[in-house]
Amino acid sequence: MDITRRASAGTMQSSDLMVHVEPAERLDIQIESTVKKQFEHLIRDRIEAVLRQLAVTRALVKISDRGALDYAIEARVETALRRAAEA
Amino acid sequence: MIPVAVPLLTAGERLDARRLIESQGLAFEDGCDDFVGMYDNGRLVATAGRAGYVLKMFAVDEAFQGGEALGALATALTSLGRAAGHDAFLVFTRPEHAASFEHCQFRLLVASGPVALLECGGGLERYLDAHRHLRREGTNGAAVINGNPFTLGHQYLVETAAAQVDTLYVFIVREDRSVFPFAARYRLAEEATRHVPNVVLLDTSRYAVSAGTFPSYFLRRNDEKAELQMQVDVRLFAAHLAPAFGIARRFVGHEPYCETTAAYNLVMKELLPLYGIDLVEIRRATAGEAFISATKVREALAVGDFATIERLVPETTLAYLRTFGVGC
Repeated sequence: MDITRRASAGTMQSSDLMVHVEPAERLDIQIESTVKKQFEHLIRDRIEAVLRQLAVTRALVKISDRGALDYAIEARVETALRRAAEA
Repeated sequence: MIPVAVPLLTAGERLDARRLIESQGLAFEDGCDDFVGMYDNGRLVATAGRAGYVLKMFAVDEAFQGGEALGALATALTSLGRAAGHDAFLVFTRPEHAASFEHCQFRLLVASGPVALLECGGGLERYLDAHRHLRREGTNGAAVINGNPFTLGHQYLVETAAAQVDTLYVFIVREDRSVFPFAARYRLAEEATRHVPNVVLLDTSRYAVSAGTFPSYFLRRNDEKAELQMQVDVRLFAAHLAPAFGIARRFVGHEPYCETTAAYNLVMKELLPLYGIDLVEIRRATAGEAFISATKVREALAVGDFATIERLVPETTLAYLRTFGVGC
């Protein structure tokens, strides 16, 4: 899937996350999280899994997380990516 | 129930917003591009506004404070703001509210007396990252210039300051509240300082807090708006910009004409030393008996007095100004 424009998904609420996606030359994942120290690597794993699943190899993905669970991370990331790939 | 804030579009809804804001002891400020709010049983219980990249006038009914209202307002406003082309947002608020914003992933940039400045969207990190390659070793200086337009006075300041440091960072004010647009102001500055080898030119992005950006809706009657705005601006520079570039000295022209600028220099004199930065005031350049100022240039331009303009600006600025008709 090619990322052709900017898109976002999510909210700034507790237990949720905001995902911002924009086109880029390479793959770059930036994570801000209220539980960064404990869970950054797990969050990153989830995001990378979704990227692989959707075959996205180039994008800037910025996450602002307030303690979301894995299914929420997957859902928001997928939504943002799909919005960013819309023709 | 997931709390969601919605855009307030009708005059009636905006009046609700105004009433809620004022009921919280805040002043209503005009000029917002968007308002959002949350209704409960037909009653507006939370609201906030956006003017450009500044979010302001957050007001939440007592019964709904401490919950998810702030997150809902911030989500909606930043979403609208991003649709308008902004990718980071500033909030000016009272310090006691800073923690609530920090819980919503806002980052505290400056706290100065009754004002706290926070940012959402990581703009400052991106800005500093994008300019990291400009960082150089040595004793470095800075000058923050609007350049409306760039005069011989500005050029003199830059030349004099550059001779006193290893690298001089010249920040051109990004905000477009000047007669001349940023792109022109930057280009004129670049052309007029090209001959100074240790000058690095960059723009301030959102990180120069002007009287135009600084909202006062949360200040109390006795608070000095102008003074606070200057303090926040100076602290933002000193705490965040200066360290990123190794800046130990800030250069300004001495101010014989404008009270506001003179007051600003005074604020810098008080605050910069707290951050280990020296303020160096350089005597303004003169043309004949008078000090050179951009105001004089604009006044002369308004009446087409190019004889005066010629003595006040470099060739490149002169050429640019000649493209304007009289009376602009």
